[in-house]
Amino acid sequence: MSTRRNALVGLAWLTPTLAFVGFFVLWPMVHLVWLSFTSTSLLGGGQWIGLENYRTAFGDPKFWAAFKFTLLYTVVITPLLMGLGLALALLVSPNTPLRRLTRSVVFLPVVIGLASSSLLWFWLFDQQVGLFNQLLVDLGVIDAPVVWFRRAETGLAAVIISVTWKVVGFGMILIMAGIQSIGTDLFEAARIDGASRSLQVRRIILPLAARSLVMATVISVIGSMLAFDQFYLMTGGGPRGKTFTSVYWIYQSGFVRFDLGYSAALSVILMVVIMAMTVLQLRLQSRRRR
Amino acid sequence: MTRPRSRIPGTLTACLFAALTALPVHAEDLTMWVRESAADPGKLMVDLWNSSHDSKITLTAIPDNQMVTKLATSAQSGDSPDLVSFDLIYMPDFMKAGLLTDLTEQLTADPNYATHVQAYKDIATYEGKTYGVGFTPDVSVLAWNKDLYQAAGLDPEKGPTTIAEVVDHARKIRALGGDTYGFWFSGSCPGCNIFVTSPMMVAAGSKMLPRNGEDEALTGDGVKLVLEAYKTMWDEGMIPENAEVDTGANFVSAFASGKIGIAGTGGFLISLMKRENPDFNYGLTLLPGAEPGQVSAFVGGDVVAIPAGGKNEAAAREFVSWVLSDEAQLQGLAKNSILTTRTDLADNEFTKGNEKVLTTAQALSVGYVPWVFHFADMVNSDSSPWITMVQTAIFDGDVDGAIETARAEMLAIASK
Repeated sequence: MSTRRNALVGLAWLTPTLAFVGFFVLWPMVHLVWLSFTSTSLLGGGQWIGLENYRTAFGDPKFWAAFKFTLLYTVVITPLLMGLGLALALLVSPNTPLRRLTRSVVFLPVVIGLASSSLLWFWLFDQQVGLFNQLLVDLGVIDAPVVWFRRAETGLAAVIISVTWKVVGFGMILIMAGIQSIGTDLFEAARIDGASRSLQVRRIILPLAARSLVMATVISVIGSMLAFDQFYLMTGGGPRGKTFTSVYWIYQSGFVRFDLGYSAALSVILMVVIMAMTVLQLRLQSRRRR
Repeated sequence: MTRPRSRIPGTLTACLFAALTALPVHAEDLTMWVRESAADPGKLMVDLWNSSHDSKITLTAIPDNQMVTKLATSAQSGDSPDLVSFDLIYMPDFMKAGLLTDLTEQLTADPNYATHVQAYKDIATYEGKTYGVGFTPDVSVLAWNKDLYQAAGLDPEKGPTTIAEVVDHARKIRALGGDTYGFWFSGSCPGCNIFVTSPMMVAAGSKMLPRNGEDEALTGDGVKLVLEAYKTMWDEGMIPENAEVDTGANFVSAFASGKIGIAGTGGFLISLMKRENPDFNYGLTLLPGAEPGQVSAFVGGDVVAIPAGGKNEAAAREFVSWVLSDEAQLQGLAKNSILTTRTDLADNEFTKGNEKVLTTAQALSVGYVPWVFHFADMVNSDSSPWITMVQTAIFDGDVDGAIETARAEMLAIASK
């Protein structure tokens, strides 16, 4: 009786959260899947068309080009963010006043909105009034200001620079939390045994902070696979549509071409891919631990 | 059981009711949405209306790229504004989707509607019914910098009259050297280019966009002629390098910098320059075609309409009629250096002697506006066949291939 009562009390405590998740997460997801089987237009109307949207999606070269570009972006930016995040975390994890200040300075851009930061960098990269170009000219790296968004490669580089500046502090904080949770006695013992700093990193920090590293990587991969604002504002998908990301293409389909049903199908495909990638990353990590 | 009697005497109740109903009719106050980029002229008109009418309009500026979504969702949730002012190119899609109120009877009976600019009548009519009127108009023209013309040895009072002259003048201005360039266009801005580049193609005899899958698209010599002219200017360095990636941020400011000889622009430049840089020495002319006398323009701007299911339709209809009145046209538009949407008022006390405004008025009468569904898909999207054609032809150099590909894609979109 008491167990049943406890269960009911537990359920009562959980109800607000379940209601919240059900209403704001599960229901929209179910609605999204339903929409993907219809020809619903943003302007209204539409009917059940079964798998037609999925058939169109698998034969849509522009969506798959955007998907490949998104993968490329993710593959390039993730190691960069994780490597820099780890390096910064190693640098600032001890609690000294200067390191605390460095932490705050590196973390500061994280609290800026991505759209604001993208616009800021868009103008910093401008050929005529951009400070970044001027800096490179003054340092002798380039002879004359460059039009960064004229080529897909340089446009991608510009976006990666801006996003790295914006989010590297987030990875740093996550990894640093992992490092700080390691007991100091381990480091003391290692020092007594004569272990160098690099040996401590390889044998103590990396294995014991692995959970934080994996978490930071998973968040980074998901964020990169969902990239939109930075490309929408900085490259506009150009040149010649070469920097469209998957989400940008979904936006185009739903809100520019008014085809909500089709964009819902693309969203479902992307959701499944991201879920699969996340499961794969977590599985690989748990196998490594075993 | 008996119900207790009211303590308020009947006469007092009647007086109170009469007093309440005699108060200003706030129930008829109207809500209006306007797209952000047309909010300034929209506000001028609404302020004028509010100063002389009991029912007041509350204006809300909606970001341009959110207007379609907001209007569609508000229609579905039954929460539409009483009036809406939006980019006229969405009119066919909105009319077909049943989002707007039929105004045919009212407008047919309105004598002011008879002289309404034909392009606005056309774009707001679907299957014989009319759903809106031109509100805050704009039209494309060609601007030239008179000081640079003078410096380059050209006649500063005479802008180019053919596409070949555009290239020739741009070349001479570029010869001035340094950071002075002959021509400007925003190479990654689909909307800017349909506004200022397509009229030259139309003037040179081309038909642009297909109305359905069986229609013609990008036919005639004009498309190729204009793209080749732009390509020549690009290849010879008459256009600044950053034009290729400009998504419209420099559409106006490039010319206003004083370093550009010629650029397509809109009538809005007149009031903007008057306000920001009154001493800027420039001229406006009609966008030219292949031969002298061939001219065209893109009639743009906003239309005003009443969303279907609006809660204050009678008062909203009154506003639509007022938009075409002498008061709105002269005091709201012309007085603020904005074109009138009635041809009989184009030449008025405010435009007298102002050659620039008269040029734009002339452009309005010769201009075109494409009546097509899926305009956003065909033209305005960042990956549209229109902007892909412009970029591939000019920057990559494949003019014929670009036209062919764009034509096929446009027809595929139009056949949806």
